Amino acid sequence: MPNTLLIVDDSESIRELISSNLIDAGYHVIKARDGQDGLDKLSTEVKLVVTDLNMPIMDGITMVKNIRKNPSYKHIPIIMLTTESQLEKKNAAREAGATAWMVKPFEEDKLLGVVKKFVR
Amino acid sequence: MDNMKAVYLEEASELLDKLENALLQLDDTPDEKSIIEEVFRIMHTLKGNSSMFGFINIAEFIHNLETVYDLIRIGKQQVSKELIDVTLASMDHIKEIVKDHELANEANKDKHEQLTTQILAFTGEEHLVTSTEVKEKTTIKTKQDGKKTYHLHFKPGKSIVNDGNNPLYLIDELYSLGDCIALPYTDKVSDITHLNPTDCVTGWSIFLSSTSTTNAIKEVFVFVEANSVVSVDKISDTNLLANKKIKNIITTTKLANAPFDINSLNLTDEEAAEEPVTKEKTKNKSLASKVKEVAKNMAETHTKEKASSSIRVSSDKLDELMNLVSELITTQAALSLHTDKKADPGLEVITENVEKLSRQLRDIAFGMTLVPIKNMFGRFQRMIRDISKELDKDVAFITEGGDTELDKTIIESLTDPLMHILRNSLDHGIESKEQRASLGKPDKGTIVLKAYYSGTNVNVEITDDGKGINSEIIRSKAIEKGVIEEDAVLSEKEIFNLVFHAGFSTAEVVTDVSGRGVGMDVVRRNINTLRGEIDIESTVNKGTTLTISLPLTLSIIDGLLVELGNGSYIIPLAAIDKCYTYRNAKDVNTFTKILELNNNQIPYINLRETFEITDKKNEDIPKQIVVINNGKSQVALICDHIVGEYQAVIKPLGVYFKEQDYISGSTILGDGTIALVFDTNRLIRKYVDAQEDVTIL
Repeated sequence: MPNTLLIVDDSESIRELISSNLIDAGYHVIKARDGQDGLDKLSTEVKLVVTDLNMPIMDGITMVKNIRKNPSYKHIPIIMLTTESQLEKKNAAREAGATAWMVKPFEEDKLLGVVKKFVR
Repeated sequence: MDNMKAVYLEEASELLDKLENALLQLDDTPDEKSIIEEVFRIMHTLKGNSSMFGFINIAEFIHNLETVYDLIRIGKQQVSKELIDVTLASMDHIKEIVKDHELANEANKDKHEQLTTQILAFTGEEHLVTSTEVKEKTTIKTKQDGKKTYHLHFKPGKSIVNDGNNPLYLIDELYSLGDCIALPYTDKVSDITHLNPTDCVTGWSIFLSSTSTTNAIKEVFVFVEANSVVSVDKISDTNLLANKKIKNIITTTKLANAPFDINSLNLTDEEAAEEPVTKEKTKNKSLASKVKEVAKNMAETHTKEKASSSIRVSSDKLDELMNLVSELITTQAALSLHTDKKADPGLEVITENVEKLSRQLRDIAFGMTLVPIKNMFGRFQRMIRDISKELDKDVAFITEGGDTELDKTIIESLTDPLMHILRNSLDHGIESKEQRASLGKPDKGTIVLKAYYSGTNVNVEITDDGKGINSEIIRSKAIEKGVIEEDAVLSEKEIFNLVFHAGFSTAEVVTDVSGRGVGMDVVRRNINTLRGEIDIESTVNKGTTLTISLPLTLSIIDGLLVELGNGSYIIPLAAIDKCYTYRNAKDVNTFTKILELNNNQIPYINLRETFEITDKKNEDIPKQIVVINNGKSQVALICDHIVGEYQAVIKPLGVYFKEQDYISGSTILGDGTIALVFDTNRLIRKYVDAQEDVTIL
């Protein structure tokens, strides 16, 4: 049974790019377009969340805070995608409960490497 | 990756449109914080996407823009006309270089440089000539033949697993870097009965021989370093773990908290002498496996299929779906009719379900083809801004009702006619600044584009407060062109409508400036193809209003099936207010053509009379009345018999019936006969127009 990952990004192209990479690597992927959508689609089946920081409706940090509020989701690894100019948000993300972060742009297989750090 | 690029390009063009929209709003309200944020956010997304897909020049370019808007965000820079101009020009430039992102074309390259300089001027930074240097993040790997030996101390924070980390995975990662032995600290681990499975109470002492650098090893812990104690010390420039003796001693120590004497290693190597470590070893198998088990259980979940949030579908497929839904509904009507005859309760249940499902299917299929009209407003905003600048006219462009939804194909075919109308309003409607001043009008002209639902239609209105149309000029032009006879008697409205005549060019009519593009006759033809209508109203020196009226739905409507004599007709349900039974059919033929219903006086149209139906069938039964409205006026239609609700798949009538006024199409009923569909808007207009005639008399 493949592991399920939740990809949250408001940009369709990024969402598709990340998803296709992870699907190629054998994961099962659920896609969401913003933080709220991400929360709606989160379930205990999700083994890891990859999320963008800046999103309409609900941003990544708020989403992470909300995820961590729920005891059943406390352990789910969350990778936050930031850009160089948002690096100062790294700590805010960590305080909110994000597990890891990646700076965009990244090589396609770099993300896979990070995902593998958390999901076997 | 290549088909991903297509998605990127499509999205980029959407983002650019959105950005353009936001910029134009910002142009009007430069202090609106939410719009600045919006601009910034879209730029950021666009930059991120571009860099991810390797459009480095674009990413860099936007990065500079983003810097400017960041300064605005924090109040260190102001929104100015110049900045908006440069930003809009930049948007155009990006649209260009998306196709040539390597800037192979010299013109693009020059433009790129020039705009970058302009943008950077707003940031107060100097522009460095080559813009293609991108910070490359490279992990420098020191080329070394032999492995070095490190000692690591790793004590994860107590709550590390709560953040989604699994320290065992980190240890595994170290194992993948080279020869590695990790020994756990077990001194903090409590009795199994008191063990809290979500607390991490162990730590590790790790020996690692690897070609990786200290930094590369630290990298493994990059996500946990804030909550954990991590130290990496190089203890030897050689691979100590290759030394069987050393390895053996470390492995047999088993626990990190067990006493361990480095001297017992009895090292002969020079480097070993450097080893300042008093570290320990591990392996409490039962405990380690317990911890592993807990972590494993926590991560263990079931996987199920879930649908993705959105996909793109080609419009061909949507059309095909719509066609099939239409066929399904026609078939379902036949099934319903058949069921009614059979009086079979089992069949009735099935038929009702099929009916319900096909209705839902129809609504969903329709919903997919509808898009809000504001999607095309942005384009106009930009055009108006550009043209008004070119013509040196100051124009406020106001849009209303952007959320009004229309079929995607209608919106697409509507863009060109609207562009043309707006251009005309700008060019020929709105006067020059001097003229406006002399007429006592505000300097700034106004063009309003408004969309709203009206019964079964969507109306799009374009209003300007310009010079209006002089009916005398049109009249004389029309005579000159031989469009009308010299002695023709025409109402003002009819004269205005001459503007849409093929013999006219609007430009010639309204001003002497040569017209651009197609004439208004083409505009009308385009709109008629969409089964829409266009209407013009104008007052000299006050302005002109063009109203385009479009059918809300293209092919399937909910209707009310009524009978008149032998024939069946459909009245669109959306236009219906109420139905009544008119007990005394004889009273219908009154002189004033006004009915009193619930104490309201409502004008009526006797359909039998209007359509000259002389069939004897149903002639003497009590008539029934359907009250319809078009958002403004109410009219009662008198028909013989109301049959009931009916889903009508509208088929066009064909060219032979083009000239009639009150029928918008036909539909096939369950028994294979044909019902005509009333065009309620025109029926109401017939009444309203008839009234106007009366007032003239």
